[in-house]
Amino acid sequence: MEKNKAILPNILTWARKKSPWILHFNSGGCNGCDIELLSLLTPSYDIERFGILNEASPRHADILVCTGPVTEQVRPRLKRIYDQIPEPKWVLAVGSCSCSGGVFSGAYNILGGIDKLLPVDMYVPGCPCRPETIIDGIIKLVESIQ
Amino acid sequence: MNILHMLFEILIFPGFAFVLFTALFFHWLDRKLIARFQGRIGPPWYQPVADLIKLFSKEDILPVGTNEVFATLLPLVSFAFVMTASFYLPFAVPTTQSFEGDIIVVIFLLSMPSLLYFLAGWITSGVYSILGGNRSLLQYFSYEVLFLLAISGTVITSGSWSLAGIRSAQLTSGSYFLPQLLGFFLTVSGLIGKLKRDPYDIPKAKSEMVAGPLTEFSGKKLGLWQLTNQLQTVVGLSFLVHTYFGGYWQMGTVGGFFTFYLLLILLQCLLSAISAIYARFRIDQLIRLNWYALIPLALIHNLFLVLK
Repeated sequence: MEKNKAILPNILTWARKKSPWILHFNSGGCNGCDIELLSLLTPSYDIERFGILNEASPRHADILVCTGPVTEQVRPRLKRIYDQIPEPKWVLAVGSCSCSGGVFSGAYNILGGIDKLLPVDMYVPGCPCRPETIIDGIIKLVESIQ
Repeated sequence: MNILHMLFEILIFPGFAFVLFTALFFHWLDRKLIARFQGRIGPPWYQPVADLIKLFSKEDILPVGTNEVFATLLPLVSFAFVMTASFYLPFAVPTTQSFEGDIIVVIFLLSMPSLLYFLAGWITSGVYSILGGNRSLLQYFSYEVLFLLAISGTVITSGSWSLAGIRSAQLTSGSYFLPQLLGFFLTVSGLIGKLKRDPYDIPKAKSEMVAGPLTEFSGKKLGLWQLTNQLQTVVGLSFLVHTYFGGYWQMGTVGGFFTFYLLLILLQCLLSAISAIYARFRIDQLIRLNWYALIPLALIHNLFLVLK
């Protein structure tokens, strides 16, 4: 009986690790990281080999991938999109601006990094970060799933 | 003993479990093939299983104002429709009694999920869902007519409205694939519209419509919708094998089964190649293509078959 109880969570964790679907959201960046992120879908990088799909609806996604700092205007929208993702969910901050606010930190219309608003699970620094680094970030986030 | 045997046939082989396994396998095959055609590596073999388990274990949320009962029933009912259709299209041994007119029943069972798909968009009351639902209904009125007209070519030649009749007619005359190549490709075109694959994936085009009618679905319901679509692919393909390649029946139970499976895999390769090659049509282009070109072609084809 004890053994059976352990098997089911193991299968769930395995399934979650093997099929993380991402939702890409630009919360006010310069589009540099977005171009690097979208190149993950191309034959050179091909994230589908890890089971990762780029989903368009937040209700289908597991990982919210944010690029850019949080502007005051996008703040309620980002919160709303995060709330629409069904549990369990994770947040990945991609790029220097997304991690800390970057060159925009201190500006009057900028809240700061994503972690000022949402609980961030993994940071991927770089300006812009290379696609290999983003893949590495997603894989490390996926490996940390308990 | 007889009841046990029947239960085994319905639940495990060639029924429920086996058809589900085949559906998941073909979904993987499809994704892998498209990835290879595009020069990518593609997902590992366990990908559909992992996706399904993950979706079934996720939180299930619906927008405010959605009828919860309807939203739960729609994917279940459409899954049941496709599953029922699969029982009329046996893999190796006939499990259900074939009767005169069962081809109409199968076409009906296969077309109902499209209507429920539209309803799914309608009840969740999102902008993308309603627009996607409308598009799927518009598309429905073009590919469904084509599918019915094209498939009736086999009915005309064999002179029977039952799947068993079409199969046995092909035992004597040879398979209809080569003599009716045009009809076969028109049927495939209709089937692609039915399955909402590229280039007919207008209702759920990701870059325009988010995910079409399924935008607001999550968790178990989304998993069921995806499973229905995967199942529909396999059932649609086996429908093609029964109507156009019926001659495999004479190879015995085991040989017939393997021939059947091989034909299914070849047809899936054809669908994947078409998906990888062609870009998406606009909705007006699709309807113009169907009503001005393909449906008249199917009518002329049928006329020739009648006169012959």
